[in-house]
Amino acid sequence: MGSAVTHAPAREGLAEDSVPRSGPAHSPRPAASARRGRRENLAGYLFMSPWIAGFLLLTAGPMAASLYFAFTDYNLFDAPRWIGLDNFSEMFADPRWRHSVRITLWYVVIGTPVKLLAALGVALLLAQKRRGQAFYRAAFYAPSLIGASVSVAIVWKAIFSDDAIVDRTQKLFGIDAGGWTGDPDLIIYSLVALTVWQFGAPMVIFLAGLKQVPRELYEAADVDGAGKLRQFWNITLPMISPVLFFNVLLETIHSFQIFSSAYIVGGGAGGNACGPADGTMVYTCYLYVQGFENSRMGLASAMAWMLLVAVALVTAVLFWSQKRWVHYEEGGR
Amino acid sequence: MQQGGNVERRTILKAAGASLAVAGLGATATACGGGSGSGDGTVTIRYSWWGADDRAERINKTIALFEKKYPKIKVKTDFQPYLDFWKKFNTQASGGNPPDVFQNAIGFLRKYDAKNVLLDLSEQVKAGNLSMDGFRAGLDKFGEIDGKLLGVPVGSNSMALVIDKPVYTRAGVTAEQGWTWDDFDEAMARIRDRTGRAGDSGMYGVMYLYDLYLRQHGKAFFTEDGLGFTEADLTEWWTKAEKGVKSGVYADPKKVAQIKPKSALSAELAGSEFTWDNFTVRYTSEGKSEYGLAPIPTTDGKKTGQYLGSLMLSASKRTQHPKEVAQFIHFMVHDPEVAKIMGYDRGVPATQAQYDAYQPTDPVNKAIAAYEESLVKAGVLEPITPHPGGADICESAFLRIAEELALGKRSVDEAVKQFFTESKTALAG
Repeated sequence: MGSAVTHAPAREGLAEDSVPRSGPAHSPRPAASARRGRRENLAGYLFMSPWIAGFLLLTAGPMAASLYFAFTDYNLFDAPRWIGLDNFSEMFADPRWRHSVRITLWYVVIGTPVKLLAALGVALLLAQKRRGQAFYRAAFYAPSLIGASVSVAIVWKAIFSDDAIVDRTQKLFGIDAGGWTGDPDLIIYSLVALTVWQFGAPMVIFLAGLKQVPRELYEAADVDGAGKLRQFWNITLPMISPVLFFNVLLETIHSFQIFSSAYIVGGGAGGNACGPADGTMVYTCYLYVQGFENSRMGLASAMAWMLLVAVALVTAVLFWSQKRWVHYEEGGR
Repeated sequence: MQQGGNVERRTILKAAGASLAVAGLGATATACGGGSGSGDGTVTIRYSWWGADDRAERINKTIALFEKKYPKIKVKTDFQPYLDFWKKFNTQASGGNPPDVFQNAIGFLRKYDAKNVLLDLSEQVKAGNLSMDGFRAGLDKFGEIDGKLLGVPVGSNSMALVIDKPVYTRAGVTAEQGWTWDDFDEAMARIRDRTGRAGDSGMYGVMYLYDLYLRQHGKAFFTEDGLGFTEADLTEWWTKAEKGVKSGVYADPKKVAQIKPKSALSAELAGSEFTWDNFTVRYTSEGKSEYGLAPIPTTDGKKTGQYLGSLMLSASKRTQHPKEVAQFIHFMVHDPEVAKIMGYDRGVPATQAQYDAYQPTDPVNKAIAAYEESLVKAGVLEPITPHPGGADICESAFLRIAEELALGKRSVDEAVKQFFTESKTALAG
């Protein structure tokens, strides 16, 4: 910490303070002020200490440990043995790992856009004033509140099983697929349906974004004779593009981390970890299998870091691409 | 923040209190890992096992009995379904905090012995805290590996063909001791043709059955340190499986996958299923039909390759109360009252005293007793090979890859190659 000679170093933390910053010459009692500043700092750190302790013990520590384990052969019981990059080369050579990468990418590429389209579509409908608006908003938002729960996944499994409601409905149309959850190629669609059903969270963000679009723009467009579609394309979309970007980013990252629904719908405690013939063996599922079923924590750690790098790369690409399609208002940046 | 010194001091104190509380949580968390004795000489031991609610009810009754007899020992229990049990156990054991005593099975003995998790109970036998006398059918040797006593059997069971009795009757099939695989195949086709139901639920993925088949041919699934069969052997087994699925003598794998964790037999997708004989109890409560036991088909009409499998109780090497743990195990395997409570829930009781104490009255348990009796009489039982470390991973790979094959996601050759690749990794580790 700074000494009493310089100008009130403690104020650094109070940069937004309404008191204008004053030079040392004008400060009435620099020493006392610095003392109080130090005390405030101390109080601040003390207040933060539960969080800092939690961060160090529960986040930073485990992350550092996992980074180390990623380069070791660690079965939980024997001491980790340094093996350099072997975990990574094993990973790339493993067909099951490649399968999990493929299925995860597929899920992200199909599931995320469909979910966002649903969220935007419903948000557009709900942005208009109509009766019972609050109810509809709540009703559409509700699934994303309970969506991550195990019980919903169990219900989902029941809905898509052989001779359950989806299968029976299909049969009415003459399609006999025999239930989605037993079919290694179809079961992933039930997961996509599950994530799309939970479009509530991005929908609420879209709603907020839509509220921000100035009415005058539409009025002007009306005067110019632009149709609804054109208004959407030329006004709404560019104006909400920052919100859209935010949603794309969040949902993409979210999709990469899909686990519980794949694990439960795919079978979970029932036998094979993730689906018939690895039908829902998404990346995190395989990571879990390697770590907790096969006791290969080193390999699982390596996989986890691989996922982190992949998500970071995708995020970077999205940030890079935003220059081309995200429009911020003047000074909004 | 601008209100003066007092407020600040109070906030600082509060913040300090909060962080102390966090530190305190950390301290208690560490303390939990330590000893569990208390001032008056009472010790607490932790006992964990896999199973479901009905077993929990029985086990709690036996523990109440134990605590009455040994008032200085308290038992804390914990249970999960099978797969979750091992995940939790792995995590606890690797963290140096495994339960003092736990349910165990043959497939895990070598694995956890190699990882220094299991207590050699022979010391306790010498000290007189645990007796290995009075076990049936050589079961006392069951948990012995390399001269160490790593597990004490609580019950025995054996592979069997559990059948849906009305379906077999309708198809006019009788399964007799000494029937051959040809007889079996014929029976499966007959069940399919006459009842419209698949004969079997998917035997090609049952590792323990394939083990018997291999033993009938003088081989075995596992040797002491690896696989006891060749790629050609497995190709033959799975080629037959592929044909069976296509022709409908084995249940539709898509449907079998969906009804999990219910069994294909109790869900009426198949007429019979190869599994452990004590599972008949479970199927009876799960399904609507009447279930019975049929013998394992043979190659030469005599040798079934069967052995007794068993659930065991093992102790942790890290336990601070080896004596009390041994007394607990002794009570659980020898006390006649325990057998009356547990019934055949964990197989037929391992000791003669417990076996005599429980006389089944319901048809299902009677059938299990009769089945095991018949195996002993027929003299078909052989000693089991203790599984090498990594056997559990091989087993789940076998099951998974067999399912992929059945679902048409892999050809036989691919499936066989994949299994051998994965097993090599698992058994080397």
